[in-house]
Amino acid sequence: MDLVTNLAHGFGVALTLNNLLFCLIGCVIGTAIGVLPGIGPVATISLLLPITFGQPATTAIIMLAGIYYGAQYGGSTTAILLNLPGEVSSVVTTLEGYKMARRGRAGAALTIAALGSFFAGTVSTLLVAASGPLLTQVALSFGPADYFSLMLLGLVISAVLAQGSVVKSIGMVVFGVSLGMVGTDVQTGQQRFTFGIPELSDGVGFVSIAMGMFGIAEIILNLERPEARSVMSGKVGSLMMTREEFKRATPAVLRGTVVGSLLGILPGGGAALASFGSYMMERKVSKGRHEFGTGAIEGVAGPESANNAASQTSFIPLLTLGIPANAVMALMVGALIIQGIQPGPRMVEAQPDLFWGLIASMWVGNLMLLVINLPLIGVWVKLLAVPYRHMYPSIMIFCAIGVYSLQNNVFDVYQTVFFGIFGYLCSKLRLEAAPMLIGFVLGPMMEEHLRRAMLLSRGDPMVFIERPISAGMLTVAAIALAAMLMPNIRKGKDAALAEGG
Amino acid sequence: MKINTKDLLSAALLISLALIGLWLNTDHTMGSARRMGPGYMPWLSFMLQLGLGCIVLGFSLFNGPDPLEKWTAAEIGFLIAGGVVGMAAGIAASHVPGWVSAGWNPLGIGMFVGCMVPAIVKSWRPLFLISAAFALFGLVLEPLGLMAAIALSVILSAFADDTHKPVGVVGLVVFLCVLCWAVFIYELDIRVPVWPQF
Repeated sequence: MDLVTNLAHGFGVALTLNNLLFCLIGCVIGTAIGVLPGIGPVATISLLLPITFGQPATTAIIMLAGIYYGAQYGGSTTAILLNLPGEVSSVVTTLEGYKMARRGRAGAALTIAALGSFFAGTVSTLLVAASGPLLTQVALSFGPADYFSLMLLGLVISAVLAQGSVVKSIGMVVFGVSLGMVGTDVQTGQQRFTFGIPELSDGVGFVSIAMGMFGIAEIILNLERPEARSVMSGKVGSLMMTREEFKRATPAVLRGTVVGSLLGILPGGGAALASFGSYMMERKVSKGRHEFGTGAIEGVAGPESANNAASQTSFIPLLTLGIPANAVMALMVGALIIQGIQPGPRMVEAQPDLFWGLIASMWVGNLMLLVINLPLIGVWVKLLAVPYRHMYPSIMIFCAIGVYSLQNNVFDVYQTVFFGIFGYLCSKLRLEAAPMLIGFVLGPMMEEHLRRAMLLSRGDPMVFIERPISAGMLTVAAIALAAMLMPNIRKGKDAALAEGG
Repeated sequence: MKINTKDLLSAALLISLALIGLWLNTDHTMGSARRMGPGYMPWLSFMLQLGLGCIVLGFSLFNGPDPLEKWTAAEIGFLIAGGVVGMAAGIAASHVPGWVSAGWNPLGIGMFVGCMVPAIVKSWRPLFLISAAFALFGLVLEPLGLMAAIALSVILSAFADDTHKPVGVVGLVVFLCVLCWAVFIYELDIRVPVWPQF
């Protein structure tokens, strides 16, 4: 049993004191930012990236991953108690969860959210463990042309699934790719678009882009909006579910886990899409569907399981193919590259500690989150009493010190200011920042694979169509694009994302 | 025709960035499809960006209206003034001998001044005071140390929110100084001057 020995190895890595500690830190921070609206996992992870550099790569990734799935747990708390989604992925939880709280069943809703998340987390962790090595085998047979097409597919889908206009999103993806060209050309050593600035010869600072466009720009946008915080409705009540609630929630959790796991693997997918997909499904198929709108427990159990499953399976494309499925995964790629690890199919073999350690830590982290969340719920709700006027200067200072400490260079600080203003502009113009970040990360890899593929084919572009894997990817990408041109599907997506955020 | 202002400006942004990129890319050898030079992939992506920008431009003429939030004359005026004054300050700073022109200081000074000018208008404050505070942090960090940098930029950024009270800001500064010292200096030991250096 390879899987068992590997998992055992993983637990050996994850259960070292240092890794446990950082897993806990990640989970606590994740829960905190999940509870707090106005700061999401992307901003937090980019904020904490520089802090993790002193740690070994495995520890760093374990902590960053903890933030991501921890945020899915925390987001449900405020959604249920205060009708206030702490994260995009828990927007749909407010629909039924808050209604349940109004009926005095807040405790049951919180319990099923946490238990469902834990169950989904366990299943999806196993899924990552089982599919990782398998997919890696497949990925090793990929040639440069296949890789290029795969990345192209990832970019297309991340743009198609982004909010708003598809053309604008693709425009942002391409701009991200262009931005990735800044720096030294790998093959000839020529400086490109650096304006003679030595700091740019390694490329535009990845952390600066992420912090500027997600951290600083978010602060500014939040400050412009007037603060809206509702009061908690009634008491949490008993955390125990009734037998009937348990019976109704179980199938919803199972369905949510399946939907979430599948939507998480999809490039461009992730927690937000998964929770919405699961909500739609529960509304159509669950036994309690006639109760939707009045506080049906299925509407909490399904989406909360789904977003947690998705936040973990979205690591699959990253760990096996080296391709980030969403902005959070793009940050993980950034973290790995800065640590000197090239994400890709060889990672499973070359970095077994990282791969299996991360998987094991995900399960450990889920267990921790269960403990952190359920008994301590009162503590987290109190966090909301911290006014935003005290939070934003703190976030800003942490960003500034973090970005400076990357290379001890103030140029990075100024770069971040620039991207903060640019990110603000983009969000005002409804240009999505997440596709741009993914494009930026994938751009240089795509260039390398494109060059290699064309060299091997002696300059014949037909190679992308002749290789079956590559042709398949391109076909899917073309279908996804074509589908968006059809008005009906596009309207469906817009409606879905408008509700699901 | 219903013009979508947001899309129109987005298109302008994409197209102008692509054109600048293509122009800069003329310095790089293209190479052939078989042996791509450093200029090949940038050329591809900027061309694609240009094309997409044109499509957005085409759509923007019909799928509106989607106007920007109303801009007052003061907002536009001070924004432009900020750009001009910031540039001028940066260029001027690079000619002054000493600390002012050392390293990236002219860039920081230009950014700081450029952000402070539009921040005179109240509605620009969240955007430009936060940016200015960030630039200020970069400017003072090395000469004055971490503690002064935290204090100055927190105080400046506090003006971006009306609900701040002086006592609260002082408390926040003290709290952040202690927290950052504990996390970054004591625990992570990053190399950054903590106190002013003379």
